[in-house]
Amino acid sequence: MRSDLRRLLDAAQAAAREASWLGLRRRRTSASYYMARDGAFDQAISGADDGVMVEVLFNGEFAYAATPDLTPEGIARAAASALACARAASGRGVHRFDHSVRPAIRSRYETPRIRKAPVAPDGVFAFLFDACGALKHSDEIIQTTSLVEIGRYDYEIVSTNGADIEQSLFYMGTSLQAVARRGDVVQLRTANGPRGLTRQGGWELLDVSTLLADARRVGAEAVELLGAETCPSDRRTLVLTPDQMMLQIHESIGHPLELDRILGDERNYAGSSFVKLSDFGSFQYGSKLMNISFDPTIAGELASYGADEIGNLAVKQLLIKDGTLVRGLGSLESQARSGVAGVANQRATSWNRPPMDRMANLNLEPGATQLDTMIASIEKGVLMRTNRSWSIDDYRNKFQFGCEYGTLIENGKLTKTVRDPNYRGVSSTFWRNLSAVGDASTFAAFGTPNCGKGEPNQVMFVGHASPVCAFSDVEVFGGGK
Amino acid sequence: MTNDFKPHFEAVSGRVLGELLPGERAAISYTAERTAFMRFNNGKIRQSGTVEQADVGVKLWKGSKSWAFQLGLSGDIAHDDELIAEALGQARAAMPLLPDDPYQAVPEAAEASDARYAGTLLPESEIPARVLGPTAGLDFTGLYAQGLVCRAAANSAGARHWFQTETFIVDYSAWLPNGRAVKSSYAGREWSDADYAARIAATRLSLQNLDKQEKALAPGKYRAFITADALNEVVTFFSWNGFGERGLRQGESAYIAMREGRETMSPKFGFSQDFTLGVQPAFNDDGELAPEQLVIVKGGKIANTIVSSRTAKQYGITANGAEEGEDLRSVAIDSGDLPEADALKALGTGIYVSNFHYLNWSDVQAARVTGMTRFSCLWVEGGKIVGPIKDLRWDESLYNMLGSKLEAVTKERHLLVESSTYEHRQVGGSYLPGILVDGLSFTL
Repeated sequence: MRSDLRRLLDAAQAAAREASWLGLRRRRTSASYYMARDGAFDQAISGADDGVMVEVLFNGEFAYAATPDLTPEGIARAAASALACARAASGRGVHRFDHSVRPAIRSRYETPRIRKAPVAPDGVFAFLFDACGALKHSDEIIQTTSLVEIGRYDYEIVSTNGADIEQSLFYMGTSLQAVARRGDVVQLRTANGPRGLTRQGGWELLDVSTLLADARRVGAEAVELLGAETCPSDRRTLVLTPDQMMLQIHESIGHPLELDRILGDERNYAGSSFVKLSDFGSFQYGSKLMNISFDPTIAGELASYGADEIGNLAVKQLLIKDGTLVRGLGSLESQARSGVAGVANQRATSWNRPPMDRMANLNLEPGATQLDTMIASIEKGVLMRTNRSWSIDDYRNKFQFGCEYGTLIENGKLTKTVRDPNYRGVSSTFWRNLSAVGDASTFAAFGTPNCGKGEPNQVMFVGHASPVCAFSDVEVFGGGK
Repeated sequence: MTNDFKPHFEAVSGRVLGELLPGERAAISYTAERTAFMRFNNGKIRQSGTVEQADVGVKLWKGSKSWAFQLGLSGDIAHDDELIAEALGQARAAMPLLPDDPYQAVPEAAEASDARYAGTLLPESEIPARVLGPTAGLDFTGLYAQGLVCRAAANSAGARHWFQTETFIVDYSAWLPNGRAVKSSYAGREWSDADYAARIAATRLSLQNLDKQEKALAPGKYRAFITADALNEVVTFFSWNGFGERGLRQGESAYIAMREGRETMSPKFGFSQDFTLGVQPAFNDDGELAPEQLVIVKGGKIANTIVSSRTAKQYGITANGAEEGEDLRSVAIDSGDLPEADALKALGTGIYVSNFHYLNWSDVQAARVTGMTRFSCLWVEGGKIVGPIKDLRWDESLYNMLGSKLEAVTKERHLLVESSTYEHRQVGGSYLPGILVDGLSFTL
């Protein structure tokens, strides 16, 4: 396959001889998606896509042309189109780049998998129907859905300065959902949020016994919520489980630390950041308990890879150390523009969109507090599980998040279940109130395949792992009109 | 690839339908585009390039089995024939292993349509100079996109639909050093340097309102005039946990209480799905046509819901050409009687909301939504602009915002075309008034 892409690189180079650098980034995608609803077939869908982005550097300006026509003629036309774009943009760019931001690395990466052979569709649907059955805790469950999504992304990158990268990422996502109703009260409960159970790996991720146990718990908790009181409205200690921490990390740490946002690229769409370039190295982002890592090396977490899509080798880096901001989420282009240290995170949704700064696996490192000890130390609090709502301002400061399931903490004990739990706050204040970080036994990784950003728009898969954490003095509230 | 995708669609759909075996039926959806993108930051170019792409979606039915596949196409029909043949072969191998589909809805619609809207777009080599020229001196940020966009559908019952349009959009914001900005866009089919320059001049004028002392408001209830641009963010919530029939019946809709008569919106409030706006085709992926106009809410009550053929089959009701996800398309909110020119006077003292940002549910069942103010939101006293506000979070039930607290709806409406570019350059848009709300709840 590489020899094909090399041959296409030759064709591109011949069509754009004035380019000082030229690269091809091929991306093939294939996926299958199976869904059951109320114990019956709902959907079975497969998909495949293949294309190349030709990128040229001319007079300090990068430009691209994306095409699914992988003939030498098609690639040559794309190269000429990219060169024309770069020529038109010449002298008007935000930065005069050189090919140092497209390193000549050689890299191979493939998702570690235990079970590579697919389960046949009848086997997948047997699980999905069993899952719906397990979700149907009682007649008060009015809807059950179960879903399995499996796919792979194959990347190839070659360039005129010798980059040669191949990566194959394999993933599986499962979703389990129950909707319960009693009178006018309707509650929805899922296993770890919408598509939260998405991870890299093979068919071993279809761990039927664990997933069916999850489904039984989800169905029972959906019914339990029908009889629960709404979450109280006051200020108290908030404890978040990893399937909500993933969202908290994503929105109030990940996006604000993206260097392209801080540089202003996203101001018209996703927004900017309360973090300034001058903050790196000194800004106290959170309490001393806070250690945030960019870690694309964790097997099984959704956004693990060997190199980003401009050829920057991916390694683990601490972004926040003992609460202090030390490094940004920006790859070589943003590092060149900002002078701030970054990571290997310039990624694209597919061959038809240019790479930009993205989260990958962004994790909160485990601490030393056992869960029992954490709960026992809280006089008045609430534990919230599983994200269901997220909203934050364009500087990533004022947020409001909601969860599916809450449990009050009273005098060091978990007591009553509460429904519709929400909380709101301001990012830096919130993280400075991080009062306890759970130990490794509370640590769990989740992923989301649908982070939106960029103009033109792109979705991206990211992973977040975290222990259970406690935050003091948080405004919490419930539902109702 | 080509700049005339119709022959490609005909070849692709012909291949799929020609390959069908006895007892097999299919629906084919098709998207294609050739787009030039240019992204700006601070009046300079951040990224630029072109994208050409075509995709086909095929739903295949045989007996009680249903399967669908989505393929990216190369544009070369000989190559694409092979892709399609392979995908059909895989479908045939998989379908016997599937459970029966109890709500299989094979389209019977057999209509045809062909709508083509030509445009006058900028020569690609001139995009930087002609987009950035009038913005000299501005901290100008955003995206320019132009080119041909195609949508098509066909099915084995005989439906054939084609829609293509050549459009451009400058989706931009202009920023002051104090971090305040004016958001705007210029979109259409016929580029006019004069019209674009006038839009940028208006933006420069609007920026003057933002170069004043920022007012930090305490959380509380405020009168608010919500512009059409801001209201467009709320329209999302008519599709997300919205007015789809399946969501209403299966507990996921935010409007169950409205359906069951426990809640209403204001008698002043209503909206329709209205394809006469001309911004997107009325056919769906199965080649079924939606009615040109469908009233969803009238006088604050649900008049109709969005019903796909699959939902119709499940519940024994009538479909109305909806996509399977039952999202609203081409939303038109009814106009009212408040002249837009009198909006500030009618507001009196309160917040002029130019834009909302990042809305999400606080409580789906209470139709309660939270979000932020963004860009050039202004504090108004006695009908006069005082200056920009420090952005606020709001949290309000739509049964209040569009119900008991809705004071007035403007006479004038604005066509806001779709600017989204996820996967493809999207088509569509909304036709919206501004609204005056008394006592909108701001929380942070």
